[in-house]
Amino acid sequence: MNNTYKNILAIGVGGAIGTFLRYFFNVLTLELGYPLGTIIENLGGSLLLGFLTAWFIVFIPREWIKVGLGVGLCGGFTTMSTFAADSIFLYSRTPIDAIFYIVLSLFGGILFALGGYLVATRLATKTRQKMEGGR
Amino acid sequence: MNVLLLALGGGIGAIARYLVGLAMMKRYLDPPFPVAMLVVNLIGSFGLGAFFGGYFQEIPLGAYEDPLFLTVGIGFFGAFTTYSTFSVEASMLLKAKQWRKLSLYIGFSIIGSILFFLLGFSMLVAFTS
Repeated sequence: MNNTYKNILAIGVGGAIGTFLRYFFNVLTLELGYPLGTIIENLGGSLLLGFLTAWFIVFIPREWIKVGLGVGLCGGFTTMSTFAADSIFLYSRTPIDAIFYIVLSLFGGILFALGGYLVATRLATKTRQKMEGGR
Repeated sequence: MNVLLLALGGGIGAIARYLVGLAMMKRYLDPPFPVAMLVVNLIGSFGLGAFFGGYFQEIPLGAYEDPLFLTVGIGFFGAFTTYSTFSVEASMLLKAKQWRKLSLYIGFSIIGSILFFLLGFSMLVAFTS
């Protein structure tokens, strides 16, 4: 198969799985009346993408694996449009809730992404050294 | 069945994000901050706002029985926009101590997405009522 189509197919499959998982967490937290699901998804997806970004610098995968997991799975699992909808919804009810939600999403997302990136950098470097030492 | 439609919407949304992102990166080779996902997130937030405004006239938090809410709202627009890439790009600007780019990127993404959502929502509520 042509590489472009392979990448697009991988993104479609990854996006579908990511979206299903996002739906799962949304339904799981639906009773709360607070969009905790979106926070879990956006922070968790940021952590995973941060990790993958650094890992794939050391261990370069095939392009379709990289885009399938990054663009597809992480991208489909996290969402900015629902974040925007949640913020307005919360603001219309209790403004302080909206501010808390935005601050938590923003700082949490960046810290989780950075954390995942730094952990993967260390882990990948160590793994690589071990592999090279074993030869 | 609904879950299949949701996954289909999500798959198409992710592919559309990839294609629009590629087109944006070709167009703006040296942007002042990561502009491709910003544009995607603004368009997608506007789209979700328009969809909620036109179809529900409100922001539904629990319309999980509605197939169109699942397919278009959670599926397509949910997956078309992304948060993880925003976080990673922002954290890389933070790591590189690119304060100006970082604050522009954060400001435009967060405030922009909320405003674009509100814009799409208000426009369609006004049109349909």
